[in-house]
Amino acid sequence: MIPDRIIEQGTLTTDGARSAVEVRLPWYRALPGSCIAGAGLRVDGVAAPKDSLRWTMNGRTFTFEELVDETEEWWFPTDSVVLSGDVPVASGEADHEVDVDLTLYIPYIVIGENEVLHIEEHDTKTMKAVAA
Amino acid sequence: MSRLGTPVQGVTLYSFTRAFHGREYDLEGLVRKVAADGYGPGLEIIGFSSFRGFPEIDDRFAGWFRDLVDEVGLVTTSLAVNADIGIHRDRLLTQDELIEYMRRQVEAAAKLGFPIARVQISLTPDSMEQLAPIAEQYGVTLALEVHADQYASHPRILALRDRYEQVGSPFLGFTMDWGATVTGFAPSLLEAYRRRGASDELLAQVVDLWNTFYEQGPPADQAEHGQRFGAFIGLAARNGRPDLGIDFGINGTGLFGPARVDDWLEIMPWIRHVHGKFFGIDERGEEPSVPVRDLVKLLVDNGYSGAISSEYEGWHWNSWQSPFDIIAAEQAVQRSAANDAGSRMITDAAEARRILDTHLRKAVQA
Repeated sequence: MIPDRIIEQGTLTTDGARSAVEVRLPWYRALPGSCIAGAGLRVDGVAAPKDSLRWTMNGRTFTFEELVDETEEWWFPTDSVVLSGDVPVASGEADHEVDVDLTLYIPYIVIGENEVLHIEEHDTKTMKAVAA
Repeated sequence: MSRLGTPVQGVTLYSFTRAFHGREYDLEGLVRKVAADGYGPGLEIIGFSSFRGFPEIDDRFAGWFRDLVDEVGLVTTSLAVNADIGIHRDRLLTQDELIEYMRRQVEAAAKLGFPIARVQISLTPDSMEQLAPIAEQYGVTLALEVHADQYASHPRILALRDRYEQVGSPFLGFTMDWGATVTGFAPSLLEAYRRRGASDELLAQVVDLWNTFYEQGPPADQAEHGQRFGAFIGLAARNGRPDLGIDFGINGTGLFGPARVDDWLEIMPWIRHVHGKFFGIDERGEEPSVPVRDLVKLLVDNGYSGAISSEYEGWHWNSWQSPFDIIAAEQAVQRSAANDAGSRMITDAAEARRILDTHLRKAVQA
């Protein structure tokens, strides 16, 4: 559902070693942190290591492990969150290809014994990087 | 035959998801547009989509919202709520947690002025029975949505209906979703697949497969539903497009339900709200895959005077047309169908309020 909007165009920032991009919810209704099961961030084909990824939502920054039990902070459909990770990017005039993968649990669609639907969405966009 | 029904025209903001998600309209802007462009008077909203922090609604926000609805001359019909049974990663909610989770949303519905809360199939007959006194306490009717791949005469729906009959609460009912009784694979979705490079030959096979299921009627149970889902995946794989398989399956079974229109008679006395689900409008101004005229006639003939929320779902794939014109055109079909059935749709807010009050007070007579 609306995966083409995951990456916010023109939001790539970097300090050289660490980079970040704004991300939109590819779903029609708010989901709590606990339903954000995972993400991937690649710039020009280079993936940020999983353990370096951070998720900044409603002004708080989480590891994906911390999101597992997070049912207080919700991702609202019109809000951007910031996905960041260790991936080296040079700021400047050059274009960079950004890839984001998202795995979300849909908590009200029960598909089996103790199991709810999960969706995997992906977006790719090309943009310049701004120095953080 | 009872008196002819006069359904109330309306819309769910879900129809405008792309515009809201894309930040073209905020909640206030969308409510004002619904009123100004005549999509109402009925207004349905999904709590978790439109209200930040839902289901926590503070008094000030509730007051602002109710004043806005009054000012623009709309009538709140249904608040769509969700049973987030899987909100914890490692376990499902316990029954007590689930009831409390739903109670908070029913309370939010009451606060915001919605007389109905739309609930979903994940609530069992036991849960609905447990929720009945909560619904009565808040004066909010719980209308469980009958949505493809289920349909009115599906065993799970009949089990709910039978429990409603036992419980005897006028606050338990159903939301009829027209997607359970579709007559064809939506052409606008075929166009979307074409734009993703699907061949005409593959799409012809998708249509044939769906038509075969239509001829067979809706799946008897979840096992048969699963087999049909698998058939769409297999078809995509055999044609070298495995990437489209799950999409074919989700839409072919979960959006385009192949039950017949008169299947709704199984639960007609318990229908408290309607989702006028549809997917597009063709060059003749008709809905090509949802039998809107037959469905409106069925409701009118059976004395239904609740709301019909136009629920446009073509936005999932149709990024090339504005939803606003499409929804206006579908509502014109509904009005025309009601006239053809010897009645009319209610479009005046004051009249809608009166009619909805009567509709919801009428205790279910099985």
